[in-house]
Amino acid sequence: MSRCTGCRRCETACAFFRTGTVSRHLARITVVNLYESGIDAPVVCVQCAERYCLVCPEDALTIGSLGQVIYSATACTLCGLCEQRCPIGAIKLTEHTLIICDLCGGKPRCVEACTEGALTHRPSGDPVSLEKYTEMSKGKNPDQKRKIFVSEQGASLRTRWRDGH
Amino acid sequence: MAINGYGGRILRVDLTERAFQIEPTDLDWMKSVIGGRAANSKRLLEELDFSCDPLGPENMLIMGIGPLTGTLLPASAYYTVTAKSPLTGILGDSAAGGHFAAEMKLTGFDQIIITGAFESLSYLLISTDGVEFVECPHLINAPIIETTCAIRKAHEDTAIQVAAIGPAGEHCVSYSTIVSSGNRVNGRTGMGAVMGSKKLKAIAVRGWQSAKVADPPLLLSEVRALEKIIMSHPEYGKRHHMGTTMLMQDLNSIGILPTNHFQEGMCPYVERISGEALAEKYKVKNKSCFNCNVHCSRYYICGQHEAEGPEFETLCSFTSRVGNDDLAFALKMNAVLNQMGLDSISTGEVIGWIMECQEKGILTPEDMGGLSLTWGDTDAIGDLVEKIAYRQGIGDLLAEGAWRVSQRFSGKARELVMQVKGLDIICGDPRGIKAYGLTYAISSRGADHLRAEPYFELTNRKKEALARFGTVKAADRLSEEGKAPLVTYSEKIALLCDSVTMCKNIGLCMDVLNFEHAATLLTAATGIPYTPSQLETAMEQCIDRDHTINTRFGVTRDEDTLPARFLTEPLTRGPTRGSTVSIRKMVDEYYALHHWE
Repeated sequence: MSRCTGCRRCETACAFFRTGTVSRHLARITVVNLYESGIDAPVVCVQCAERYCLVCPEDALTIGSLGQVIYSATACTLCGLCEQRCPIGAIKLTEHTLIICDLCGGKPRCVEACTEGALTHRPSGDPVSLEKYTEMSKGKNPDQKRKIFVSEQGASLRTRWRDGH
Repeated sequence: MAINGYGGRILRVDLTERAFQIEPTDLDWMKSVIGGRAANSKRLLEELDFSCDPLGPENMLIMGIGPLTGTLLPASAYYTVTAKSPLTGILGDSAAGGHFAAEMKLTGFDQIIITGAFESLSYLLISTDGVEFVECPHLINAPIIETTCAIRKAHEDTAIQVAAIGPAGEHCVSYSTIVSSGNRVNGRTGMGAVMGSKKLKAIAVRGWQSAKVADPPLLLSEVRALEKIIMSHPEYGKRHHMGTTMLMQDLNSIGILPTNHFQEGMCPYVERISGEALAEKYKVKNKSCFNCNVHCSRYYICGQHEAEGPEFETLCSFTSRVGNDDLAFALKMNAVLNQMGLDSISTGEVIGWIMECQEKGILTPEDMGGLSLTWGDTDAIGDLVEKIAYRQGIGDLLAEGAWRVSQRFSGKARELVMQVKGLDIICGDPRGIKAYGLTYAISSRGADHLRAEPYFELTNRKKEALARFGTVKAADRLSEEGKAPLVTYSEKIALLCDSVTMCKNIGLCMDVLNFEHAATLLTAATGIPYTPSQLETAMEQCIDRDHTINTRFGVTRDEDTLPARFLTEPLTRGPTRGSTVSIRKMVDEYYALHHWE
């Protein structure tokens, strides 16, 4: 997060490689620019320890060998439960489909697009827990959940900025 | 519906009637102007009542983007706002980066044309579906970021991008700005006052379309090529580290850093106010406009003040130009000006002009309602900026801008305003950069470098100068030879940047965009087969059109000149010592190249 400049190159690369067009709502990664605090950061599926999205009653979401979420459009009924449960707003529900990161099969385009080293892909290591965000994001729309997630993480970065000066 | 490259629709909003109309983008109309600034000028020429009061409801406020805005093209982040300028009374426009333009693209509107005026302060929420009119009495005098956050909160959506005015715009200060993405500014020619006069606090955009292009693989390969050029550019590291603030030391080293209101070109304390000092002491991270890989902007924290920026113009305007050696004060001013919505160049000129006039006894404190200003008096500057933004006391007069205020005083006072056609000169002494001098003189929005940004004259590329502009002197900053051809070339690329809406630091200063690249990019985006020579002709026609617009506004060739100081008073120290500008000769040559009367 300390390296993110808010340029959204990750977002444009993601949408472009999936659709040939550029659009925030078609990107699987979404940058939040908080002008009030100078904080910018992308929000994307972190393959969390809890896997809240597996709540899917149709089993349209499964976990792949890279730990990525695999989405079955045929099984999905667009009920929106997974979108509701994801505590950080990493799932987007559109009129026709569900949009979630699948790690581009192991070579994420967003990581390639970032010239600042703000994004890395670490296939190994302990999964991240998102438990602390479940309470604060309850009942919020995905955009607001992303904002809460980024603000919360940004608070400690801002402390570091202040201490550094 | 969306056509390749373009959103495909034009939005017209009548604030008086609180009504809007959507019409399809006429591709034949758009093709010859591409988009952005050139399209805005064309619209203005076709539809504006030239005699209108710039602060009246009949003035048009036009926001324009182009076919590559918000696409994979690096720094395709700009939008231009155009209107009759309340500061100069002629063609007014100003571009800004950030994230507004990319979101405007997703609304599907290539151009937003606003006329009329609200009865009470309101904002527009423009989405793919149309326009919502929202009254906002709670946002009276709200600064920019507070306004942005309030609008995002009200609609529970942080993806909304907001272009807003601050208190200065609401009070119709002639050089007030529009600010989006927190700190990205449409700074020049008082576009904020046009919004303020319409009681239009903000324009918020949120879209659900996609930026579609005709040939994605072709666009991708061209973008990859350009990205390689940018990343391996010799200036990349420096620009990434300091952005345009690198120019503090650069300009000082060649003796053209405006010091004490252009009385000197070298600043004895430049190291304390330099881009290097800023980066070392206060920068906490890099910032960036949409999809850019240079990330030249910066976020800083300095005591109680934090903001994105400053760019060179703001830094210089509030340090050496007004005799201030305190970097922390300039950083405070950057935050304050951006949040109040004041143009730093024109505000700095008002201050510097009074300082010099009072130093020389040309103006007295009594002339200025008791105001006494001396070099580097930061307390007085801070006070005055506040007064200007709210038009309090003497601020009410000074809100008219230095040039207009000077008309009340002696010829000597008028002569000391550093302006062309009513617009205040940027921070770069033309005595040591002759092509820039010519650019200030001929620029269609008044004294300004961005109409051509002939950075090439500073690069010392002599061989290339001979091949491209007919003389090695084109790369010699102190020479007047070859500068007219350099400027006529650069102004086409500058307009091209403004029309494809790419950043000029990259497109022009880093010399990345040319007609060949642009033709490929535009062909890939629109599916219309553009050729380089076609584009060049199109840009020439657009420049002729701007000239026609200003002729209609009553501008004459005599006004294509520079303040007397630059023509007759040589600088006394440094590498630009002894040089003055022979402006008439360059302007005549420039007119001949354009075949203008």
